Amino acid sequence: MMATIKISPLTRIEGHLDIEINVEKVLGQDQVVDARVAGTMYRGFENILVGRDPRDAVHLTQRICGVCPISHATASSIALDSAFQATPPENGRLLRNLVLGSNFLQSHILHFYHLTLQDYVDTTGLLGKAPWQPRYITPDLISGSAARQLVDGYVKALDTRRKLQEMGAIFGARMPCSSTFVPGGFTEVATSTKIKDFAVLFVEVYNFISGVFFNDLLTLGMHFLKYLSIGRGCGNLLAYGAFEEKGGGKLFPAGRFTSGKYGKVDPGRIAEYVGHSRYTPRTSGLNPSVGVTEPDLGKTDAYSWIKAPRYEDVVHEVGPLARLWVAGHYRRGISVLDRLVARMLECWIISDGMARWLMELQPGKTGIHPTTVPPTGTGVALAEAPRGALGHWMEIRNSRLSRYQVLTPTAWNASPMDDAMRKGPMEQALVGTPIADRSQPIEALRVVHSFDPCLACSVHVLDKG
Amino acid sequence: MKITRRDFIKATSALGISLGMPGWALARAGLDPSSDGGAPPVIWLQGQGCSGCSVSLLNSINTMSIQDLLLNTINLEYHPTLMAAAGSQAVKAAEDRRIKGDYVLVVEGAVPTAAGGQFCHAWDGRTFMDVVKSYGKNASHILAVGTCASHGGIPGGKPDATGARGVKDVLGTTATVVNIPGCPTHPDWIVGTVAHIISYNQAPALDTYGRPLLFFQNKVHARCPERSSPRARSLGEGGCLADLGCKGRETYSDCPVRKWNSSGPNQPGVNWCVEARNPCGGCTEHDYPDGKSPFYEK
Repeated sequence: MMATIKISPLTRIEGHLDIEINVEKVLGQDQVVDARVAGTMYRGFENILVGRDPRDAVHLTQRICGVCPISHATASSIALDSAFQATPPENGRLLRNLVLGSNFLQSHILHFYHLTLQDYVDTTGLLGKAPWQPRYITPDLISGSAARQLVDGYVKALDTRRKLQEMGAIFGARMPCSSTFVPGGFTEVATSTKIKDFAVLFVEVYNFISGVFFNDLLTLGMHFLKYLSIGRGCGNLLAYGAFEEKGGGKLFPAGRFTSGKYGKVDPGRIAEYVGHSRYTPRTSGLNPSVGVTEPDLGKTDAYSWIKAPRYEDVVHEVGPLARLWVAGHYRRGISVLDRLVARMLECWIISDGMARWLMELQPGKTGIHPTTVPPTGTGVALAEAPRGALGHWMEIRNSRLSRYQVLTPTAWNASPMDDAMRKGPMEQALVGTPIADRSQPIEALRVVHSFDPCLACSVHVLDKG
Repeated sequence: MKITRRDFIKATSALGISLGMPGWALARAGLDPSSDGGAPPVIWLQGQGCSGCSVSLLNSINTMSIQDLLLNTINLEYHPTLMAAAGSQAVKAAEDRRIKGDYVLVVEGAVPTAAGGQFCHAWDGRTFMDVVKSYGKNASHILAVGTCASHGGIPGGKPDATGARGVKDVLGTTATVVNIPGCPTHPDWIVGTVAHIISYNQAPALDTYGRPLLFFQNKVHARCPERSSPRARSLGEGGCLADLGCKGRETYSDCPVRKWNSSGPNQPGVNWCVEARNPCGGCTEHDYPDGKSPFYEK
């Protein structure tokens, strides 16, 4: 007997997501046979940006998401650099990386402990009140001393992520939403005192990541090894790369893993479909550089505000696993647990980068080459947010934004079906997931949370062509 | 005639209840031993927002740590980002509380009012606009957290295709809504307002935009340490940023004093926009962003 289970709202993510799964007995065990994932909130950033002073874009696009605003600040300022034909001085590049790095680490710690952990640990008796109760209680949850260890980590992690925001503010003015990212670089000056203050916190954070976080990940992983074979999804991975290094390379390189083969990334081969998204049919299949967003509320067969981006018409997943995979740092497999492991390991790689960038700062030297708004220009930034590949495309005409386009990672991961009925990565990952108890579909939460969805980002910004 | 302590408590509780005092306030005053210990239930709804205000609240440490707030000070019975429950279990938690009443309603994010509110759903086919109105009715206090919930914010920026509005606009003039703006808002402003409500069972004194005077009495410019400094001529220079588009003269906030991202209890923040050499963008104001744009022009 098939059951349709709707989880609305799906909590412990950023933003508004509903999922609907069809569950049926296959070889004696209940499992997901079909899934639909839907973004349920729309703001229309793209239309809001058109007609504005280009310099406002860095500030406005950060408010696409309060968890990963620095990803947008970085991408927007890089796109503006390109359009303004500006190159930041070394300190500007380094300060952008340091604030972005702090934002990544904060996001990943928040994700593991505060968004994900409760799917795996029985917190009854340890966190016995709201918001940690009520909750699903399933027989497979971690309990006993391991549960105490993980809940202890949850509480410690609240302070660690707060410190990471403090680090971001030392250079970035405040967190969330920094005001110091500008075309041409970064307004704040790296004084010796600020470098020292950042370093002191960084050491505390690094110790947490290497000690508590690593240990807690292992504890969780050992209890749930079966999740190495759950939630694979499409099996294709995409990364644009991030964290600009001296000489033009990146800490995380760009790359693709498509149908088992490695390849380069050409942004011209991206198309966004809206076959099952609430936008007019005539706007389907466009590259972001010429994309159009026309909401179509009453459209039949549409079930999401998220579009369906595809690379050469193939579904791709983005995120820490994709970044580590294309770089060669981690290629064990693609699954719920692989995503959690990659996200934690990425914290080490970013931390190593941050230690290096901090040492490379030249105290007291400016981080900005002042710029002026050009009458015309275009800029593209291919970057990464904690959740995966992020692109900003912009055009300037008469010194104003004539077009602004943002393609976010969760648009890739939480996309609905496209015009050719290809399901998105999260939908594919849900199919095949075993469900032990139809009234407590906690396995579905584990699959969805492994992608670290950010819905404010995914229902996003495309320009009016 | 001797009156027992028990009778005294019953009598004062009855008086308190007849005055419309919520159960948690009575418990705070030691008057109703059957309630849940004096921590007000909080329902936190999210609409057209970015969760930045929730992320900012998680940074709380100066007035109170976030651990202390969540574990000891409030009962956060609904919050989509933090709560364990999902789907119908989560909605039931919210609905059970709504029916009981006596809660602080917090709204983060703007309310889209165009097309019958269909640009944002709270859960299971119910529009956010509908849910805000429903939950506003039984709340003992309503807080609009962030500029989006206070005044529409960035989603309400031109051309405002979704009719994004603040909570007060949606609930009407009969509702008392405390606006705690900021894009994002500051954790101290939220915690301070909640602390006032817990201590006095009333919202703090508000200005004409519904903002607590505790935090929004002075303009940024009034207490800016750079107001007497020479004017910066280009971005990246220190000094007064008036010529670079600073909106400090038309923005109310205590940013120059409180600053952002405190390092510990009773510590000011480590930095703020003008100190980091970027002009104030006026993010706490009712006309943010359109009335404060372009950010780099006067």
